[in-house]
Amino acid sequence: MTTNTHPTTRPRGDGAAALAFLTPSILTFLVFVLAPTVGVLILSFFDWNLLSDGTFAGLDNFKRLFTDERLLGVYGSTTYMALVILAVNVVLGLLLAVLLETRMPRWIRAFFRLSFLFPFVVSASAVALIWRFLLNKDLGLVNYLLGLTGLDRIDWLGSSTWAPISVIMVNSWKTIGFSILVYIAGLQSIPKQLREAAIVDGAGAWTRFWRITFPLLSPTIFFLVVINTINSFQIFAEPRVLTQGGPGDSSRTIVEYLYDRAFGDFDLGYASAIGITFALVLVVLTAIQFWFSRRWTHYQ
Amino acid sequence: MTSRLTVGHVAARVLTFVILVVAAVAITAPFLWIFRGAFSGSDAELYRLPPTFHAENLTLDNFGKVTEQVPYFRFFLNSIIVSGTVTIAQLITCSTAAYAFARLRFRGKGVLFAVVIGSLMIPIQVTIVPLFLVMSKIGMTNSLWALIFPGIFSAFGIFLLRQHFMALPYELEEAAKIDGASRFHTFARIILPLSGPSIATLGILCFTYWWNDLLLPLVMISDTEKQTLPVGLVLLAGRFSTGSLGTIAAGIAMAIVPVLIVFIAAQRYIVQSIASSGLKL
Repeated sequence: MTTNTHPTTRPRGDGAAALAFLTPSILTFLVFVLAPTVGVLILSFFDWNLLSDGTFAGLDNFKRLFTDERLLGVYGSTTYMALVILAVNVVLGLLLAVLLETRMPRWIRAFFRLSFLFPFVVSASAVALIWRFLLNKDLGLVNYLLGLTGLDRIDWLGSSTWAPISVIMVNSWKTIGFSILVYIAGLQSIPKQLREAAIVDGAGAWTRFWRITFPLLSPTIFFLVVINTINSFQIFAEPRVLTQGGPGDSSRTIVEYLYDRAFGDFDLGYASAIGITFALVLVVLTAIQFWFSRRWTHYQ
Repeated sequence: MTSRLTVGHVAARVLTFVILVVAAVAITAPFLWIFRGAFSGSDAELYRLPPTFHAENLTLDNFGKVTEQVPYFRFFLNSIIVSGTVTIAQLITCSTAAYAFARLRFRGKGVLFAVVIGSLMIPIQVTIVPLFLVMSKIGMTNSLWALIFPGIFSAFGIFLLRQHFMALPYELEEAAKIDGASRFHTFARIILPLSGPSIATLGILCFTYWWNDLLLPLVMISDTEKQTLPVGLVLLAGRFSTGSLGTIAAGIAMAIVPVLIVFIAAQRYIVQSIASSGLKL
């Protein structure tokens, strides 16, 4: 950081001005970020249902985490859905972004780019409602198209095998445009000369991709892995609207489970314990990704 | 065109376009279908397979029914108020804080910035329970304020703008300083005018996020009149539904059209903003 380079040669600070500039952020941070964060820590040690006085519960809420079989199942379904969504975004997103690099008229490229991105700006509840129509077992367009190819109808939203797959499809469909766009930006920052030099050297498209594009794109891939992991683990609207988390807990996510414990059962202490451990999981996942990234990301 | 157009090259190009067109159709077709459905006179027509653009009883009735079943324009107005206010407030708090972190010297700056970055790790989904309690303590639940205040502080926004401010050349500010301009004057008259694209970036990302949020209004708001559009759509399709699918389709279409208009108008900025937010790591 540049600020610490001349600590002694710059005696006069801007303390008063800094305070003025920072006050709006500090105030909103204290009340709406720090207080709830401390609150979630405190609450997790209490047994409280909003109506009666809370009682101190020690580590009971945390012990419950380990005996709650539903929670384990919900972690399982969340992880399953999040990982597939992550893979679709990172792999299919890269494929589509690379294909968009093909020479084509500017307006066609713009059309593709905008249509890929559009679902990203539409609200998840609108998206999920549209897909609830399309995935309807008897009347939905998706099953109709399957029927044309001679396949059987699939109970997309009502079977525990297909419900999580539906959530995966709908969420990937909504978010892939973001990944594609970030990839496009990453691809554009790769110096043209490198690829041209490789073409002169007679390298084929496949070799060029793995030897030049992929290593130079690795910071972008890493960024997308981190962002998509965090986002896909926090899904709420799609399962809520599409499947209500069911059947059973097959398409339920942690955030949905937390929401139901907190605002369905009013089991606020336990919901807080779920929240804290979930935040820890996210932090650990991100840390692991950062640690691994040193082995495979390549910075220019 | 190159002279070495072999069969393989042609095949590769054709395959590329086939994949891109299939992807574009898969992404846009559901929207076309819902728009077409919004004009259907009957549910049988909406669910007709295969779907056709031709219709024997094309109607605008569904749009009227949406507004009869739920206070649709109220939802819409609430969404505008919430997203608009959060965006303006976030731009103010983030730009001032980012300026302090980028340009001012003060004690505790490193620690404070570390705290900001650390808070990126704690999503609102985790703190939603105590956030609800804080809001009810200060008597703001079941009002739009409960949706506005939690969105104002943004660690991401501070971080994004700080990076942009730090990239601006120092010389302009030095000149203003010699002329005796105050810190605020420098910020408002020199830094901000030079930061149009990054401010627009944050504005667009902030607006779309809060326009689309479902969790916070579900938790904070109990009166139907005070809900925002995403919850409104769920209500239209659920509790307030008369069973008419055309009405639901019309409600969804009415929610999408404004987004579509803004999207097309601001597409250059949106593309730029998302692309640049991805280069920060």
